Amino acid sequence: MSERQSSTDPMDRFRELVTEWERGFDALANRFMGTDEFSRAMNQFQNLQLSMQKAFAENMAKHLANVNVPSRDDVLRIGEAVHEMDMRLARMEQRLDELARATGVAPTRPRKGPPRTRKPPSQMPPGSA
Amino acid sequence: MSDKTELEAPGLVDTAVDRVRDIVDQAILRSVKGLEFVTSPAPEVGVTPKEILYERGTLRLYHYLPQTDEVYRVPVLLVMATTQKAFVFDLAPGQSMVEFLVKQGFDVYVVDWAPPTPEEKRLDLADYTQDFLPACVREVQLDSGETDVSIVGYCMGGVLSLIYAATHPEGPLKNLACITTPVDWSHMGLTRIWSDERHFDVDRLVDTLGIVPRDVVAASFDMLRPAQKTAGRIRVWEQIWNDEFVKSYRAFERWGNETLPLAGEYFRQTTKELMWANRLYNGDLMVGGRQANLANIRVPIMAIMAQHDHIVSYDASKPLLELVSSEDKEELVLKGGHVSLIAGPNAVRRMWPALARWLSERST
Repeated sequence: MSERQSSTDPMDRFRELVTEWERGFDALANRFMGTDEFSRAMNQFQNLQLSMQKAFAENMAKHLANVNVPSRDDVLRIGEAVHEMDMRLARMEQRLDELARATGVAPTRPRKGPPRTRKPPSQMPPGSA
Repeated sequence: MSDKTELEAPGLVDTAVDRVRDIVDQAILRSVKGLEFVTSPAPEVGVTPKEILYERGTLRLYHYLPQTDEVYRVPVLLVMATTQKAFVFDLAPGQSMVEFLVKQGFDVYVVDWAPPTPEEKRLDLADYTQDFLPACVREVQLDSGETDVSIVGYCMGGVLSLIYAATHPEGPLKNLACITTPVDWSHMGLTRIWSDERHFDVDRLVDTLGIVPRDVVAASFDMLRPAQKTAGRIRVWEQIWNDEFVKSYRAFERWGNETLPLAGEYFRQTTKELMWANRLYNGDLMVGGRQANLANIRVPIMAIMAQHDHIVSYDASKPLLELVSSEDKEELVLKGGHVSLIAGPNAVRRMWPALARWLSERST
C-alpha cells in the first residue's frame, strides 16, 4: 500500500502541518524557557517543593521516633552500610586481581566462542568475502 | 496534443482510484489497529541473544552471543548513558546496533544501568569511572581472553568512557568511539540555563532527595522538546495502519518512558564539576585522585555527532578531537538527532557501517 504513495498523497500536507506546528511550538517554548526569569521561577518552585518535602520527612521521623519505630533514614543507613561492604569487597577483589597480574598469575577462564581471527573486509583477498 | 491527453486520461483515473482505495484502506486499518494499539502490551525490546556476565548494584554487564564463524580479536564494550536503559542499542531486529555489530563479527559487551537504589545515593564519578568501568573491562578481558578492549560510549556513557580513558592512559584501552558525547558543557543550551548556579540549588536537591527521581530526569528531557510527544502521537495515529512505523514508535516510546533516576552525588558532581566549572573541557577535572585531562588520551578515537542534537548540541561535542593527543582520530557528523543517531534510519544506513568499518580496521 505504501509503495503506491506519491506526492499526490493528501496526507502529505497534514504531515507537513504537524511538523511545522511541532517546530513552531518547540521554538516558541524554548525561547520562553531559555530566559533567566523562567530558570529562576522554575528553581524557586522546585525549592518550595523540596522545603515542603523536607519538613514532612522531618515531622514523620519525629512521630516514628516517638512510637519507637525506625524511620526510612534509619533503614537506609543499614542498607548503606551493607552497600559499602559490598563496594569494599569489590575493591579488594580488584586489588587482588591487579596483584595477580603483576606477579604473572593472572586469572583466566576457559576460552569459548568462535576463533578471534576475523579480518576486516579491506584486508580480505579479493573474492573471499 | 489531444491524442496525448486521451492516452494519459485512463492512467490518471487509475491513479486517482488507487489513491481513494488507499485512503479507504488506511481509514479501515486505522480503526482496527487503533484498538490493537491501546490494548496490546509494550513491544518486546532487546531480543538479540545475550547473557549477563557481571552485576553489582546499579551496574549490569551483558555479553551478546557471537553469531559468526570467527570474530575480531578485540572485543567491543558499549557504555550506556546513566540516564537511560541500554536496550536502545538493541531496540528490535533490524533496528539494533548490537545485532548489526554481532553480525559483522564483533564480540560485543554492553554496560547497562539499573535504577540506583537509595543505598547507592553516594555513588559518584569515581565509582563509575574508577570502579565500575575498570571492573567491566576486567570481566571482558577474562571472558574474551584478550588484553585489548575497545570502548564505545553513548552520551554520558561517552563522558564516563573519556574519564576512564584519561585516567588509565596505561591501557588496556585499544580504541575509543564517543557518540554524541558532551565535552564543552558551556554549549549545553537550555540544560545549562536551567541549572544556572545562581538559581539552581543542587545541594538542596541532592541533600533532600538522595536519589534524583526519574520524573525530574525525564522532565528535563521532555522540556527540551515540549511538543515532541503530542506530535509523535498524532503521527502514530496517522500512520497506525503501518505496522513497521508503529513498532518502531512504540519501541522508542518505551525507551523514553524508562528514564532512570540518578545517584545524588553523581548528579551533584556532574552539575558542579562538568556543567558549572566545565572541568572536562578545561582539563582540570579530578576523579578519584587522578587528573582526567583529555590530553592523556592517545588511543585511536572516533567522535560521532548529530547535526540536530537537541540534548547534546554539536558545539558541545565538537571539541573532543582537538583536546585528545591521539594521532589516529576520525570525526563523523550525521544529520539527525540525539536518539536517531544510534537507532534511526540514518544510523542503519550510515552510522553503524561507519563505526563497524572504523572498529574492524583496528580490531585485529
